[in-house]
Amino acid sequence: MCPAGVKGALQDAEEVARAQSVIFLTDFFPPVRFRSSTVKECIHAILKENLANVQYDPEETPQLTRSLSETIKDRLKEEGFYRYKMVVQVVIGEQRGEGVNMAARCFWDSDTDNYAQDIFMNDSLFCVVAAFGCFYY
Amino acid sequence: MEEFHPHNDEMTFNAEEAHSIVKECIEGILGKVDYNHNKVNQWTATIVEQSLTHLVKLGKTYKYIVTCAVMQKSGAGLHTASSCFWDTTTDGTCTVRWENRTMNCIVNVFAIAVVL
Repeated sequence: MCPAGVKGALQDAEEVARAQSVIFLTDFFPPVRFRSSTVKECIHAILKENLANVQYDPEETPQLTRSLSETIKDRLKEEGFYRYKMVVQVVIGEQRGEGVNMAARCFWDSDTDNYAQDIFMNDSLFCVVAAFGCFYY
Repeated sequence: MEEFHPHNDEMTFNAEEAHSIVKECIEGILGKVDYNHNKVNQWTATIVEQSLTHLVKLGKTYKYIVTCAVMQKSGAGLHTASSCFWDTTTDGTCTVRWENRTMNCIVNVFAIAVVL
């Protein structure tokens, strides 16, 4: 963990260096990769915590979906993926035995960019979360 | 080989263009069919692949994420939400909703700018 004083000094040093047109290696190679397994665990914990005993309700669910996506995004920001742009998508549906199929395709740099997904189900609803991370060069 | 000059000073995501591209793809694939459990896998894959190919052909310096959900119509509710941590001046999103008698289809496009 970086103490606040040191972090501030490092940020100042970075600003000075950038002003002098210094290019950092971390501009092109992420120091911390967007690891699928780490992100999946974060998402799983948040879903378990927030949806454990929730019933599907047509009035409440839109608000719940929105707040879940914000929560997951904020949690991923805290994980500290340096220079990553992130997209979190949450889909919640009522369980009525209907068929649902979801697919995603991405056009990106597979060396640096990645995604993670998780699915949560109980008897009244199902929830699919997909989190995508794109490195900003 | 053509010379490629990306204009980065005023690069914003054109959502209308993406909307029409995606809508065309969906119509082409789901336009005349009813929900079929055996084929839906193939349909969603084709929709995302075709949409992505057409978006890339626009030739802009963007990374794209395209997601598609197809759901059988049974009176059940479905909600989607997304939250994005990016540069709002250059990056953008577009959602296309489509339906017919037997199914609903939602396609989301997320475009993330690459600054070279």
